[in-house]
Amino acid sequence: MHRRLPLGITILALVGAAFVVLPVLALVIRAPWGDLSTSLSGVGATTALRLSIEVSLAATALSLFFGVPLAWLLARGTFPGRSVLRAMVVLPIVLPPVVGGIGLLNSLGRSGVAGQWLYDGLGIQLTFTIWGAIIAATFVSMPLVVIATEAGLHSVDRRYEQAATTLGASQGLAMRRVVFPMLLPSIVAGAVLTWARALGEFGATITFAGNLEGRTQTLPLAVYQARQTDPGGAIFLSLILVVISIVVLVAMRNHLMKAR
Amino acid sequence: MKRLCALLLATTLVIAACSSDDDGGDTFSSATEPAETTELTVFAASSLTAVFQDAIGPAFEDANPGVTVSFNVGASDALAAQIQSEGTADVFASASGTWMDEIEKDPGVSDRTDFVMNRLVIITPPDNPADIQSIDDLATPGVQLVLPAEGVPVGDYAREALDNAGILDEALANVVSNEEDNASVVAKITTGGGEADAAIVYTSDVSDAAGNDVNAVVIPEDVNVIATYPIAVVEGAPNADVAADFVAYVIASEGQATLKDYGFEPLA
Repeated sequence: MHRRLPLGITILALVGAAFVVLPVLALVIRAPWGDLSTSLSGVGATTALRLSIEVSLAATALSLFFGVPLAWLLARGTFPGRSVLRAMVVLPIVLPPVVGGIGLLNSLGRSGVAGQWLYDGLGIQLTFTIWGAIIAATFVSMPLVVIATEAGLHSVDRRYEQAATTLGASQGLAMRRVVFPMLLPSIVAGAVLTWARALGEFGATITFAGNLEGRTQTLPLAVYQARQTDPGGAIFLSLILVVISIVVLVAMRNHLMKAR
Repeated sequence: MKRLCALLLATTLVIAACSSDDDGGDTFSSATEPAETTELTVFAASSLTAVFQDAIGPAFEDANPGVTVSFNVGASDALAAQIQSEGTADVFASASGTWMDEIEKDPGVSDRTDFVMNRLVIITPPDNPADIQSIDDLATPGVQLVLPAEGVPVGDYAREALDNAGILDEALANVVSNEEDNASVVAKITTGGGEADAAIVYTSDVSDAAGNDVNAVVIPEDVNVIATYPIAVVEGAPNADVAADFVAYVIASEGQATLKDYGFEPLA
């Protein structure tokens, strides 16, 4: 039926699994289930949840809208500094989010390098608004869609594209009708990861967008605030995030696998 | 793609290795001192960060060879929660009696004493974009006000002052962000050229020694709130003797003079 793995590997693997699973399990064990309803109403769970879903979906849409063309440019474009651009584009994955937040303040804040034109010229201020939260989430999560899409593009055999153009299709038509369908699983996988990352975003958001219930206080920020005043409520809020993330990741597992 | 990931990973590792090298340098220099080094852990309110880390900590280390002081700073309510769950603190310096009361109940304290006072002040970016001249201006619709969150001592004091001024509801309607500790509030005014129009923090944040690039607007005596800071040795402190010395140092004349330099008000 199944071949036995070497004992050492099995033990290390189980320790690794326990390390990841235990903190999540502890949330379930330690949650004060008796006060479920009072806790959740006390910490403004519905408001934060609604905001989190809006912000993460908007961030995913923005990431796709700009990230897929960006991946295309990186995969198919030939221009000097491409590898530098590629490294810069994925930097937010390894950057501490708070650093991203400070960068966003200095670039898109109302006195920021670019933000001052928005503010002085058009009267647009991103900070302390839901758009600030969306921008912060997009900044940290867009690289995931770029990486997944670019990997997908590299795995698509260019001969299909060439065959299509040889048969008279325009470059655009070949992309839409030939490349894009083959690329779709990669884009979907990237989008799911992007969305999950955006949903959990904290550091850049609190730094750039601030923390105000109903406007910029997403679920992770609500958890952070509740952990001091209402530790039980913080656990329930955390569990909401855990459940949503698990459900989506499990549901999308087939897509993620296909993209490999 | 694989190459990219490998490159990323390698870069991260190199950066991590470099930064731990830097830390290593410090550890080495202190390790050359007498063998029995004591590591004192002080949990201090966020507003004490500058005075404790830059002045009182180093001075106490100089006066006590073999002792290194490390500070865990944050909102007093968050620190109290950490002490109760993890219990590794030697000294707790809180921005309000409420949270010291909590620690006095569990796990208990000794040598508790009030050691300094602070008041509230309004800060704005240097160019004061919303033209805030008095606390009443915080009620003007459209002013972007940043406050410390409720539950954080300075957040509760700030709401009390706004209530005293009779503008609590109007001011709360102007709040654009509730920050988790005093330092985060200051950062919203100083980072990136000033995102918000105004914030309420402690007078110690506008002292020359604190070095924050902000414009200060005085809150009148009759509506201002006085924050009294207690300090104590935490029950079960790993270094109770040195902890008591630290508390004594802070309340003695030298510590009090340093606190005064940083904009705090000595009790005596």
